[in-house]
Amino acid sequence: MREILKLENVWVGNQEVKILRDINFEVKEREILSIVGESGCGKSLTLRTIIKLLPKNLKLLEGKIYFEEKDITEFQDMEKIRGKKIGMIFQEPSSYLNPLFTIGNQIEEAIKNGKDRKNKKDRVFKILEEMGLSKNVYYQYPHQLSGGMQQRAMIAMAIINNPYLLLADEPTTALDITTAFGIVNLLKNLVNIHNMSIIFVTHDISLASFISDKIIVMYAGIIVEKGNAELIYNNPFHPYTKKLINCLPEKYQKGERIKVIDGEVPTYKNLPKGCPFNPRCEYKIEICEKKLPEEIALENRDVRCFKYGKIMES
Amino acid sequence: MKIVLKRLKKRNKISYISFCIIIFLYSVAFFADFIAPYPYNKQFREYPLCPPTRIHFFDHNKNFHLRPFVYEIKLVNPALNQYEVIKNKIYPVYFFVKGEKRKILGIFTSERYLFGTKQGKIFLFGTDIHGRDIFSRILYGARISLSIGVIGVSISFVLGFLIGGISGYFGGKIDNLLMRLVEIFMMFPSFYLMLALRAVFPLNLSSFQIYILIVVILSLIGWAGLARIIRGMVLSIKEEEYVLAAKALGLSTFKIIFRHIIPNTSSYTITAITLSIPGYILGESALSLLGLGIQEPYPSWGNMLSVSVGNLRILSTAPWMLIPGFFIFLTIICFNFLGDGLRDVLDPKNW
Ligand SMILES: Nc1ncnc2c1ncn2[C@@H]1O[C@H](COP(=O)(O)OP(=O)(O)OP(=O)(O)O)[C@@H](O)[C@H]1O
Ligand code: SF4
Ligand SMILES: [Mg+2]
Repeated sequence: MREILKLENVWVGNQEVKILRDINFEVKEREILSIVGESGCGKSLTLRTIIKLLPKNLKLLEGKIYFEEKDITEFQDMEKIRGKKIGMIFQEPSSYLNPLFTIGNQIEEAIKNGKDRKNKKDRVFKILEEMGLSKNVYYQYPHQLSGGMQQRAMIAMAIINNPYLLLADEPTTALDITTAFGIVNLLKNLVNIHNMSIIFVTHDISLASFISDKIIVMYAGIIVEKGNAELIYNNPFHPYTKKLINCLPEKYQKGERIKVIDGEVPTYKNLPKGCPFNPRCEYKIEICEKKLPEEIALENRDVRCFKYGKIMES
Repeated sequence: MKIVLKRLKKRNKISYISFCIIIFLYSVAFFADFIAPYPYNKQFREYPLCPPTRIHFFDHNKNFHLRPFVYEIKLVNPALNQYEVIKNKIYPVYFFVKGEKRKILGIFTSERYLFGTKQGKIFLFGTDIHGRDIFSRILYGARISLSIGVIGVSISFVLGFLIGGISGYFGGKIDNLLMRLVEIFMMFPSFYLMLALRAVFPLNLSSFQIYILIVVILSLIGWAGLARIIRGMVLSIKEEEYVLAAKALGLSTFKIIFRHIIPNTSSYTITAITLSIPGYILGESALSLLGLGIQEPYPSWGNMLSVSVGNLRILSTAPWMLIPGFFIFLTIICFNFLGDGLRDVLDPKNW
């Protein structure tokens, strides 16, 4: 399978703080990759690095980004890629749609090729239908739609040019469970119908394992574990992933007390030295407070933890 | 547009009425040539400071006339401007009456006017010292006073948009430089700035030149505040999520500015325009009041008022000379009400 996207040793931040550190992963054709992690771990920032829309005060400090096997790290003409080859959808559809224009108008605006108005309109109707929306939606304003419909409209806008890669930043977080599942199924179908790859960001690891082929678990700006979705979900290796999965509500019997991960997520200004998870880790060893562990390639996954380095060595 | 008016009508009666009055005033100004019974510079030497003519339906014998009429009037005491009504001379008022030939809108000539008398005079708002019909002069003056607001605001607006927009979108050094410029303009009290700017130019300009000059001066004063506000709006809208989404869709900077940023300032800017028009009307009046504005014999509401305000005797004996002031007041208050209503109605959150 062809590699659509590859990040190599990516660091993002500024002089004061480094937020993303040593990010490495790749997305293959027709693959769904989920990025999981707590709030603030850098999921959205990773997506914005890919599409090169970082906040003004942050920049790519180091590393390379490849899209369709071409190096786009220094590529200037991102307008040619955004919307056309990479689409993006967001968590809060209501605030990401322009309140002043109708849905039809906004989707049409997103169409990159084709001048003919009639033809454009037909394309919009077609995509609305594919998204499970009625033709009426074309003439409606964002505030007249429900959250789920708005998200579908956003997806329509993002995929109208048939991009190779869709970046979905928590597209279901703001929705209720049933609506969310509707959207998730829709996204899954896109992979088959449009030959698309998807990066799906969520903080819900069980949803991630349900939708995706591969999972990346992030913590405080680094990837702690990545690999096959099912394997990670059923048998997590990294201490953080373990806790994340143990905290899931569905793992509990009725009446049992819910466990939470002790301690707090560190802030980027004063990250603990060494492994950022060490203050909350019960497997901590001496070296954890001194050095940031490397990514260790195990049989079916990569883990960034000294615990596994030991195993390898011994 | 239609929707906005509908909402305005439903939610805010006063501003809807104000809107209607404004439309009425502007159309009257537009058709001044046709509505005014006399030309603005026509002097009736035998009728100086004549009080408003009364229109009657009953004559002194209590007979009813279907067609309204006016009496003949005569100046009896030139020193005190006392007039006497001559009760046996009755002149009926006709619609589409024939009068002197005049150009309408500068294009075609006509000799029929909306209303008038075949003989005798009809001065609805009285006359001024030179015996010119104030009603007609107010109609013609409306053209100047009302258009100055609209043209002035358009110029300020283009300037404000351009400079505020560039400042806000690009930021950095450009922003710094432009905002300092804005501050220079905002530093001076606008009235003195207006006088200073006017003083730069000679006094003996033609009326048209003065008109242009006033518009330019007023908009030079007005743009700075506007630019500042638009900059602020662009700064905040630029960070809005739908702008990020538009960027993620790969839209060009041009499209982002003109489709996503500027339209989203519109609810504010339309309101701001409406609320700033009165400033221009007042500015013109103030300049005219000081004799620096539109020059006689061309009427503007400001210079018509200036004759009477300085003269106590006129104020006490001929209060109708203050009618232009009433129109200034009416226009300003209507624009203010309309602006308030629009602010309410145009906010997408209130839909
Ligand atoms: N413009 C910025 N300047 C400095 N730090 C920033 C900036 N934007 C984000 N950050 C930092 O980067 C961290 C990661 O942000 P990001 O939005 O990627 O988190 P996330 O994983 O998407 O979280 P969430 O689940 O809440 O969306 C945040 O904790 C924040 O402190
Ligand atoms: S590196 Fe050390 S502190 Fe970090 S997760 Fe592994 S064992 Fe825990
Ligand atoms: Mg996020």
